[in-house]
This record gives sequence, C-alpha cells and structure tokens, in this order.
Amino acid sequence: MTSFSPRSLQWLPFSPKSLISRLFTTITLFLCLAGSTFADTYDENLLLQPLSGQFLLASFNFKSHGPIQSFNKQLFELFPRSLGQILQYTHTRELHLRFALGRWDSELWGAQPGDGQNAGGTGVELWAWVEAENDIEAEARWTSLNNALSGLFCASLNFIDSTRTIRPVMSFSPTGDFPHMNKTDLFLLHGTLPKEPVCTENLTPFLKLLPCKGKSGISTLLDGHKLFDASFQSMSIDVRPICSPINGHCDIEIQQNIDMVLDISRSLQRKDSPVPRPRDQHELVCDTTKSYASDEYCYPLDNSFDLPWSLSDLFGRSIAGSCPFAVKEPQTPHVCIAAPHDRQVHPTEGTEIFASQDGKQCFILRENQIFDIALPKQEPPTTPLRQEPLLYAERSFTGHGQEHGGVKTVLRNPSLKDSIEVVYLESLPWFMKPYLHTLNARLLPPPLDGDGDVISELYYRPALDRKRGTQLEAKLVIPANSVVIVTYDFEKAVLRYTEYPPDANRGFDVASAIITIPPHRRGSDRRNVPATSIRTTSLLLSLPTPDFSMPYNVIIFTSTIMALAFGSIINLLIRRFVAVDEVQRMDIKGKIMGLIGKVKKTKAE
Amino acid sequence: MEPSDDVQDPLAQRRLRYRELLRNITMESDDTAGAKDTQRDDVLPVGFEDSQGDGATVEATFKQPPPETPETIRTRSWVLATFWIIAVFLGLPLWHATTTIYRAPLPMQEMQNWSEGKLCKTEFPLLVEVEAPSLPDAENLLKTVQHALDDANDFAAHKPHHLRLRLAAKGKSSDEEPKVEKDENVACLLRLLPDSQNGFHHNVQSSSRIVDIHYPPPSSSSQSTVNAGLAKFVAETLEVLFSQEQELIEHLLLPQTSNPGSLNALSSQSADEARDKKAHQPRPITADISRRMSRVVKYSANYHLTFSLFTATSLPASWDIESAISQYLTPLLSALSPISNFTISTQVQYYASISSSVTPAYDDELKSWVLKKEDLSSFINSAEWPLASISNDPNLNFILYIPHPSMSPLTIPSATHSNSFLLPQWGGVTILNLEEGASSLNHLSHPILKPALDTFATHLLALLGAPPHPASLPIRLDSLTRQRSAEVLVSASSTLGSLQRLVNALPSISIPSTVSESVKDSIRHLSLACEELRKGRFAKALEMGRIAQEEAEKAFFERTMVAQVYFPDEHKLAVYMPLLGPVSVPLVLGVIRELKRAIAEFKKTRAK
Repeated sequence: MTSFSPRSLQWLPFSPKSLISRLFTTITLFLCLAGSTFADTYDENLLLQPLSGQFLLASFNFKSHGPIQSFNKQLFELFPRSLGQILQYTHTRELHLRFALGRWDSELWGAQPGDGQNAGGTGVELWAWVEAENDIEAEARWTSLNNALSGLFCASLNFIDSTRTIRPVMSFSPTGDFPHMNKTDLFLLHGTLPKEPVCTENLTPFLKLLPCKGKSGISTLLDGHKLFDASFQSMSIDVRPICSPINGHCDIEIQQNIDMVLDISRSLQRKDSPVPRPRDQHELVCDTTKSYASDEYCYPLDNSFDLPWSLSDLFGRSIAGSCPFAVKEPQTPHVCIAAPHDRQVHPTEGTEIFASQDGKQCFILRENQIFDIALPKQEPPTTPLRQEPLLYAERSFTGHGQEHGGVKTVLRNPSLKDSIEVVYLESLPWFMKPYLHTLNARLLPPPLDGDGDVISELYYRPALDRKRGTQLEAKLVIPANSVVIVTYDFEKAVLRYTEYPPDANRGFDVASAIITIPPHRRGSDRRNVPATSIRTTSLLLSLPTPDFSMPYNVIIFTSTIMALAFGSIINLLIRRFVAVDEVQRMDIKGKIMGLIGKVKKTKAE
Repeated sequence: MEPSDDVQDPLAQRRLRYRELLRNITMESDDTAGAKDTQRDDVLPVGFEDSQGDGATVEATFKQPPPETPETIRTRSWVLATFWIIAVFLGLPLWHATTTIYRAPLPMQEMQNWSEGKLCKTEFPLLVEVEAPSLPDAENLLKTVQHALDDANDFAAHKPHHLRLRLAAKGKSSDEEPKVEKDENVACLLRLLPDSQNGFHHNVQSSSRIVDIHYPPPSSSSQSTVNAGLAKFVAETLEVLFSQEQELIEHLLLPQTSNPGSLNALSSQSADEARDKKAHQPRPITADISRRMSRVVKYSANYHLTFSLFTATSLPASWDIESAISQYLTPLLSALSPISNFTISTQVQYYASISSSVTPAYDDELKSWVLKKEDLSSFINSAEWPLASISNDPNLNFILYIPHPSMSPLTIPSATHSNSFLLPQWGGVTILNLEEGASSLNHLSHPILKPALDTFATHLLALLGAPPHPASLPIRLDSLTRQRSAEVLVSASSTLGSLQRLVNALPSISIPSTVSESVKDSIRHLSLACEELRKGRFAKALEMGRIAQEEAEKAFFERTMVAQVYFPDEHKLAVYMPLLGPVSVPLVLGVIRELKRAIAEFKKTRAK
C-alpha cells in the first residue's frame, strides 16, 4: 500500500521508486481531472490491525489534494477554508500538527504505524515551515499561526511561546516540494505543549475539516467517547505542497490521520456496563496448570482465546456508507484489515471484497449502505502480525533532591546485523538547565576496540532564562544488537512566584524526546528504509515549590523586624530615662478601685 | 551583707523605700475600702504631681525626676520632627510614586467637545453643474434656482447639505463625465434639454452623474413663466436627488448632538432641540432610515467577502464561483474600490444542516417547506458552519444554501422571487432549490449562480449602506462616500467621548502614553477630515475620518487598559498594617507626649 507511506518516500527525492510513484500519482490525478468535474480529490481509508495482548489498532487516514492556484486565491472546495486561510495569512508553507495521548507500547505492539511519522509526543506538537524574510518576521508569523490554530482546534496552542519553540537542525526536513521558493526564506519552527490534555473539543474541529464531517464514510466511527478511551491515540494534520516533477504543476495536500489502539476487552466491557467492574467468576478463564490452582483460587489466563468483536461493538456504531467524494474509478478500498491468516473475518453481507497484497483484506464501501466487520471468537488465539521496530527508546529521570537531577535515555537497537544512525532531539524548558559536560553516551556491550564514541554530531543551543529553552540534538550511531545509554545531569531553577502554575506540586511536564532515523539503505538486505521517528514519553519534573502563602508571611516577618528596629531606635531617641523611683507610675489598681468606689457612692445616694 | 552597709548604698536605700511605699499603698487602699466617704480623696494615683490629699507622704517616698534641661527637650523635639519630616516628605512621595497608576494626560475637554459635536459643523457643499445649451438666459435661471435652494436651506438651517450651482464651461462635450477640477468634485451634471412632448420630467442616467431635465420649449410669449417653472422644477429635482442622502446623514449626525448628553446635564436640552428640529420637518421615512442604517456594517477600508455554498447533502459538489464572481460581481466591486477594497474567499461545505431549532413546516398550498419568519434569524448554524474568518477586516458572509431533497423546495415567507434574506451587519443568505435529477445537481454552472449573485450584490450594497436612489450608480456611490465620512466622523468622535467618560469614571485604570498619542492623532485627523468636508473633498475626508476612527478605536481598545489594576481595600490594609501600625504608634505617641509637655509648660509660664 503506497498510500500509507507516501510521506516517507518524499525523503528520497531521486530514488526510482519515488519517481515512479509520483508519476503514478500524476497520472491518476490527470485521470481524475478528466473523469469528473472535481478540481479536488479526496481519499480516505481505515486500516484495522489486531495487536498482541487483545488490542486493536485502527488507523484512519483522510487525504485531499487540490490545485495550489485556487488555494492561493482562497477558492476552497474540499480543502477546509478555516485552516487554509490561517496558512495563507501566516505564510505557512508546510504544517504538521499532532495531538497525542497515551503511550505506544512498542515492546508489545511492535513498530508504530506509518513509521511513526503520524504520531506526536504526548500533548500537542506543532512544526511548520514558515516563509519569511527574516527571523523576526518568522517568529511573528509563528506566533500568529499558533494563536489562530489555538482558536481553530480549541487547544492552548497559543501558549507555545519563545520558551517552547525550537529550530531543529537535523531532525526534520520538509516533506513537501518547494520548487519556486528560496530555501533560505523558509524557517522551520517547532513547538510542544506536553501538558495539553487532548480531548473531545479537539476532535470536533478535526472532524469539521473533513468534507464528510463524520456524517458518512469511515469518519462516522469517530466518537470522542471511544477515541479518548483508547490506550493510545494520536491525531495528526499535515499540509504540504506537492509538485509534479514532470509538468511542475503543484497541488496542496492535506492529510489527516487518527491512530488509536483500543483495548478490546475493555471496550467490550464498556458496551455491557458503562461502570467498570471486576469480571464475574464464571467469566474468568483460569490457568489450571499452576500448582496452586483449585476451585477456590483462580490464576486468570489473559489471552486464552481471541475475543469476538465487531466495529459496532468497539466504536458504538457501524460505518454509515461511503463518503461520496472518496468513491472513484478505478476503485480503491476504504477499509482494510490486517488480521492473521487464520483469523476469520465476516464483513456485512454484500460487501465487495477487494483482494490486496501483503495479506490484507480490503473492502469497498457503498453509498448509504451500512458496513460492519465481525470477528468471531477464536480458540486457540492467533498470533497477530508484529513488525519489529527499528529502535526501542526509553527515557527517565535519575537523581534525587530539589536541586539537581539527571536524565537517562536508553536506546536499544534490536537488529542483529545492522547498525543504525539516529538523531536524538531534546527540547527542554529553560528551568531545566543541563550541564553539557556531563553528557555521556555509553555503549553496551562496550566496544572491543575501546572506541566508545557514539555521538558523531552535536548541536546545542543553550537556554536563556525566561526567553528560550534548551535545544539539544545529537547524531548517534548505534551498532547492531547493542544499547546506547545517553545520560546528562541538570540543575533545577527556582521560579518566580507567579511563574508557578496553579497545581505547582504536580510538577512540570518535559516534552518527549524525538528520535529520528533518517532514510537509509539497510546493509544486510539492501532495502530502503523510510524515515522513521520515535518519541519517548514525556517526563514530569518536580521543581522546588514554595509555600504559596509565602508573600504574606514575608510581609509580616519583614514588617515585624522593621517595626522592632524602628521602635527601639525611636524610643531610645525620644524617651527620657530616669531612675526607678523617679518613674511617674500609674496605679491602675487604685484607679479601678476609685472608680468602683465612685459607682458605689452614687448608688448609695 | 549587713543592713547597715545597705543603707550606705543608694540603690539599696531606694529599694527599701520602695518596699515601704508598697506597704503604704496596700494599707491605704484597705482603709479606703473601709471608710468610703471620708477617705475617697486619698485614692489618687500615687506619685501624681497634682495630688493634693496625701501629697506629703508621696513626696516622702517618691523622687521627682530631675528637671530636664532645655537642651534635651529641644533635641527630642528635633528628633521627632526629623522623623516626621522624613516620613511625610520622603516616605509618602515614595510610596505614592511606587504605587500610583500611570495615567498619560489626555485632552479631556477637547475629547468631550468632539463627542458633543461642538468642534465640527458638518457641511457637505455639493457642486452641481448645469448645462443649458439651448437656454438663452441660463445665468438668470441659475440665480433663481440658487436663490430657491438657499431659501430652503435657510428655513431648515441645520441641513448639512449645501448645494451650489455653476454653469458648465462652454465648449465641453456634454457626454464627458464631469471631472475633478482642482480639488473640486462635481456632484452631478444637470442637462437642461427642451422636450416638446412630455413637459417637465427628469431622467437619471444609470452609469454616469448626468441628469437630463426635460422641459417644454419656451414659446416666445411665455418666456418668463417657463423660466420660473423650470427653476422650480430644477430645484425640486435636486431636492429629490439628494433628499434621501440628506435624511440619512441627518439621521447619522443627530445622535452625535444628543447622545453624549447621557452623562451631563446638557442632554435633555440638546435632545429637546433635536426633537424641535425633527418637528419642523415632516419626515415620514425616519423608521425606514433607521431600519436601513441598522443593517449597515461598520465602515472599514477593507472588507473580506466569503461566499459559501452550504449543501445539506454531498451534492452539488462544485460550483463555478470564480467565473461567476468575475462576471457578475467584480464590476461592482471595482466601482466601490474608491470607498473600500474587497478580498474574496469561497468555500463549499457539505452535509451542512441548519440549526436544530429551525423547523420548516410543509405548506400544502405552496407545495413547499416554509421557514417561519422568526426562524430566519437563527437560520445560520454558527455552531457547526465554519464561517469565522481570520483576517482583521470585517467579514461579510454570503451563503448559498441548498436544502436536503427531503425538505425541498424550501421557501421563506413573504419573499420576493429571490428566496433570500439579509442578515443585518453580517451578510446575506440565498436558498437555492434544485430540482430532483437536474444536471445542475452535481455542478452549479454560472447561469444558475447569476440570480444568487445578483441578490448578493444587492445585499452587499445594502450592507455597505448605499442609498437605493437615485438610479445613477456614480451618484449613489458619491452619496455613499459622504454618508460614510459622516459615519466615521460620528463614530470617531463618539468613541473619543466614550473614552473620556471611561477615563473619568474609572480612576484606577492606567493610561499608557500610546493611548494619549492615539487620541491626539485621532483629534488631528478629525479636524483635517472636517476641513476636507467643508472644502467638498469627500474622498479625502473619508480617508482622514477613517484614520481618526482607527486611532480612536486603538486608544479605546488598548489592551493594557482593559485589565485594570484592582486591589481590594482589605488586601491593602493587610499588607500595610504590619509595617505602618507598629511604626506609626511610637511616632504618634511621641507627638502627643511632646504636645502635652508643651501645653503644660505653656500653662506653667502663664500661671507665673
């Protein structure tokens, strides 16, 4: 399926395969233009892939093309005007926006779909190529882009300020074509908001950008309640210009992706009872091979069979017919399922089955015809297809205390034969100040020749307090079947009173590290490997947090001290010091008695 | 130690006396309790200087401190005075300077005057050229007409328009458009043409500023009567030509004189005046004017027009909007370009449902679904339709809505054939019902779009506030220019007035210097605009007025002014008290003690 990785092919502009695929796209484009009155073309497809551990990956992909001339004239058809206007207004030539939640468990699920190109770090991630004459203009346009997108997607993107913006040098390269543009006029800016909770209010505007708006086609499955209940989910929007290498005709492409990993058993349970509850005893499958197994004790066996599911079970609804814009000649499949061969798949009756390469079963949707897929219970369980990722990455904090800390990233190359080159990018907040001299990359197992230098290139831009964050980019080479441990120490800054967020004791989120593996030709089997990116989880950094009643305490303390000092000085200066027997004293007791006496006397009278 | 040694020690001696004294006091008070009446005077504070009763005893046990030297007293007073001087002359100003809110000076009086319309007497001198090739005594006729017009003007002195007639230069071809000559704009050109058949009538050309006036050719006998009749007719024609604009502008200027009064006492007076003025003149169409004015969008130099095709299904999938706009709308937009510029964007939105609150009912007679009149205002589904625009210019929306086949044809009540409605200050909506199975169902070609775009053009003119009469587009656009300049003047000055009142009403907001600069700039441009108006250069006046309005609004909506600094009084008290309380107590007490001493001394010296 070329449609799932066209972006990655863009990395190799001169490879014959990409030329062929582009030629193919151009020809199809021409056919489409000749065949119908559409100026814009639209494609959507859904890939379902069972993952190990009773999970299901659902990848939604929506893509539309339109001539860039009408985009520039603001004559929008399938391209959403709301987004198009923002891009034009801010002179953004290529845009990548990611919303992500949860963690992709690569140990269990394997490589990320789409080579990880569609996934972002936890929270919101945005990078764009902005056309501008100089740095200041680019910065201003980037700010207005963030503000506008923040309004469009109901996300706090406007909080991406200069402290959260970096300019990656090695990690990203444009995926679009800019034949008529001076490359020095394009500025790459990258911003992250790791704390942003992605939720339904971000999905609704996302769906509104689609021509079918979730009313028909595969987008009818997208429901906020289900999407955000997933174990991992990521939404992405990519806009880029693509030019035909033959006639120089340019198109603007918008690609929207949603990847979600559903926990099948939880989704099914949700269907039966909205309140989560433990499974009944008779529903449990016990492992009777254990020595302690008895009638009273049950050691639950998780994957004893493949759970039966259907789209309507998992998503709460079935697909309501095709989106009319995605129906075209020659027919392209809309829904594909990459289930193991021995797993039975039952689509709704009367659905056309579209044979597809690499073991996928694909289906074509019909207009106004409800579509569903059902997979029956299967025992013994099948082994889902799993693709070994190119790299495993983990990042964590080390150290203790409120003053210093450390970061440790473990990168593991599982390949037995091929070493890989990766670019490791960290975007750290300014209040986390790394000591570059402590940056250390250790290779395990240690190399025999003693040359343990794995960092081949390093780009570092230090932080400025309250102005910008640290940007650290390192190119590493990881030999086959080995582990590289990157560590560095950092110092925690003390923030100003007003700089703490309302829930200061929760900690501060540190954005995911971005690990990019540039496209390369694999040594062992001479195959081209497209660009891949992997993101670590975000970290929670706890800073020294003051007691927030502090200012008033400070006022009271200082005032008391000042008043004491002042009082003593002024008393020393203006009081008269006399001997004890010279004190003119007030006899309070006598006075009171006198008063009482007076009262008594008046009473007696 | 021996007690005898103790006696030598003065300290021990004092201690002894003190003990004695204590005993005395307790005994005395016991006595007091027993013998109430007789002993009560004894119960005086021990050691009081002016104690009379047992003074002797006290004198015996207590020592008066030695009298202070005048030197120490003076030093003490100086110390106290210095503290107070530092507190008052250094502390207080410092405190004030660090806590005060910066307020840049604003020309308040001038702002108020502008908002009350005192500084600019809006006038619109209109130059009318008259061409009378076949009339022998044209000069005379002009004089008569001018006289009649001036009379009318004198009668209603407040009229902003001032018509001035001039005979067209001889030898100029009459077909030529009147040109701008040395900053002078000719509002219209009257051509007096003899017409033997139809008598007096006028004919407005739709694409130029020429108005033909036909009059019956004079017979030699009745030359004077014809002249008189012609003069009367010309005056009437001019009156008709500009009456609507005049009323509109008057309507615009009226609130300027009566509005700012809402806060001052002059209000009732000026409102009364306005009412008097109204009473003088019959105005049957005021309601119509205010209705028309309420639709008009705020003036801006640039507008963004959004043409949207909303369809309830996925069909039609496309439309020929680009060619349709260039064919039907671009001419109008280029004619409007001296007043405002326009940018255009278009979009197609599929599966667009109307708001759920809008439920059309099926009408059997009309065989169509009919929207209720009150539904029209909520027809726009703003929750779901992406109509917001990012540009800074005001956005006008024009929506072509294609209803769902199950709800087609959809009509609106009491509509003309166009099946469209205008949403004041927002845009226009046209409902297009497509026939089942028509070829247009898939693609809207531009002949189908023509009626819709024509409607949009009318909507656009109405939204911009162009008067519906006379038929000539240039005259209408000229009149729109004048109307817009009056509008920006009024809006800028009322904004200045509001700012002035706001600043007066809220003493705790800060006024940055940019605001003061904007206000000054605005006032300068206002007076420039006023001057240009008086000279009859309306386009220039509009430009100046626009700048004035922008600056005034920039000042009014200054972001730093919006967030006003507010500290509750309890908060301030809590912050200041811990320091000021303990510090001020010894200072104040010191002053009181010194005063007491001074008074006592004063009394003593007087007693001597």
